[in-house]
Amino acid sequence: MHTTPQVKSLFTLAVTMLMFVVAQAQVHCGLVQMEPNSSVNAMMTFDDFTKYNGGYIINGVARIKVRVEDKAVIDPLCSWNLIMTIDNNPAAGTPGNEWEELNQYGSGLGQNPTIDALEIRVRNSCSTSPIDGLFINFTNNMDVIDIIAPMLPVTPAGSCSVNTNGPGSYMTNYDEFNFTIDVRVRPGFDFNPGIFQLNIKFRLEENL
Amino acid sequence: MKRVGLLTAAMMIAGMTTVNAQLIDEKDVTVTLDLQPVLQLDMSTPDQIEFVFDDIDEYYAGITHYGATVLKVSSTVSWDLYAVGRSTGTNGPEFWDQQIDYGNSNPNAQPNLPLSLLELRQAQANNGDGAAAGAFTDYSAAFSPSSVPSAQNSLYVNGGTNTAPSTNDKYIAGHAGTSGTAGQDFMEGGSYMNQNGINSNYYYVIDYRILPGLPAIFPMAADADGATMEDLVTVNGAGAYAEPGVYTMYVQYILLEDQ
Repeated sequence: MHTTPQVKSLFTLAVTMLMFVVAQAQVHCGLVQMEPNSSVNAMMTFDDFTKYNGGYIINGVARIKVRVEDKAVIDPLCSWNLIMTIDNNPAAGTPGNEWEELNQYGSGLGQNPTIDALEIRVRNSCSTSPIDGLFINFTNNMDVIDIIAPMLPVTPAGSCSVNTNGPGSYMTNYDEFNFTIDVRVRPGFDFNPGIFQLNIKFRLEENL
Repeated sequence: MKRVGLLTAAMMIAGMTTVNAQLIDEKDVTVTLDLQPVLQLDMSTPDQIEFVFDDIDEYYAGITHYGATVLKVSSTVSWDLYAVGRSTGTNGPEFWDQQIDYGNSNPNAQPNLPLSLLELRQAQANNGDGAAAGAFTDYSAAFSPSSVPSAQNSLYVNGGTNTAPSTNDKYIAGHAGTSGTAGQDFMEGGSYMNQNGINSNYYYVIDYRILPGLPAIFPMAADADGATMEDLVTVNGAGAYAEPGVYTMYVQYILLEDQ
């Protein structure tokens, strides 16, 4: 026969264990990391007609090297996703579909560059992203484009498959865990001259 | 039971220390776009275009130089193009420079020839003059017969400066004003390089004519908006005529962002 304090203590112990289990269940991976994760600033200068007509491309403006490790006790649910979002600094008064204006040349009577003028291509040797090799564009501030979409079934590394999202590293599976980013702008003759800016944010996170 | 309590506390501490948030990492790529304005006017023309009037027919019918100047435009911004008559101002800001005069100094012989006596004709009409308010918005009309004085091709002059024409004056392409509507008062950015067909808003062939008439009063000369004729009789009175001699002036073509 247990006394009331004993029952309370046992109940507390049970709840604590349950919490422990639940809390642990939220984390499946031991490490999720991009290397390096330092920021990149790419300048695209249009100063002649060849560039205006043909566009300006920077191949390999950034390389996203992914490293995802299991925990010490391997969790088969460890997987990850990689997305990119566009940010035009709306706090500065930038309209939702335009580049942030830093400086303007001339009369400024025309249209500032729109976000969709920026084209982005993601590629790696295994074409693991469904958008691999395609130039795609954003339309509005905070639009999201999936490179490896969230909450997909786990596709283990090593198979060189689309949507590979299991644990692995660019050091051991370079062709699946390295993403080369290219950017291209073809402004045409419709936009105001000036200096404009956009920020592409790459976000790597483990799937819950 | 004390042990159970301690165990519970220990597990809670252990549990808290091992509870992790979702693992996330981020990286930023900032793209800066420097769109520099490029306005480029390619011009094919002789260094000097000479009009030598040494035959009576040339006085009557004038001399025309067809296709003497070809203007090719490339611009990354909305633009206007105009021509303005200028001189060094030897005889005054709106007159040809008299380099030498022939003959005597008859009081009716006028050395001050208006710059506007030069006539231009553009092969491609101005398609950016919808908001123009003047009688003549460009130089696309055919040269008027010598018997019908007209200001329609008279060169724009503005006090010897290169100040842009007003809404009442002539442009080759585009016009005064900032409506923001293409075709009203500006030409859209583009280049002659990627145009097709024989007509292009980025390619202008210019003819020149000088018609002295007899007596040589230059009946086609007119002020900027074409409302007032500037032939020598209108300006100087009956009996006036151009003093024989050598005169020079120049035409300045100006390509600028729409304004």
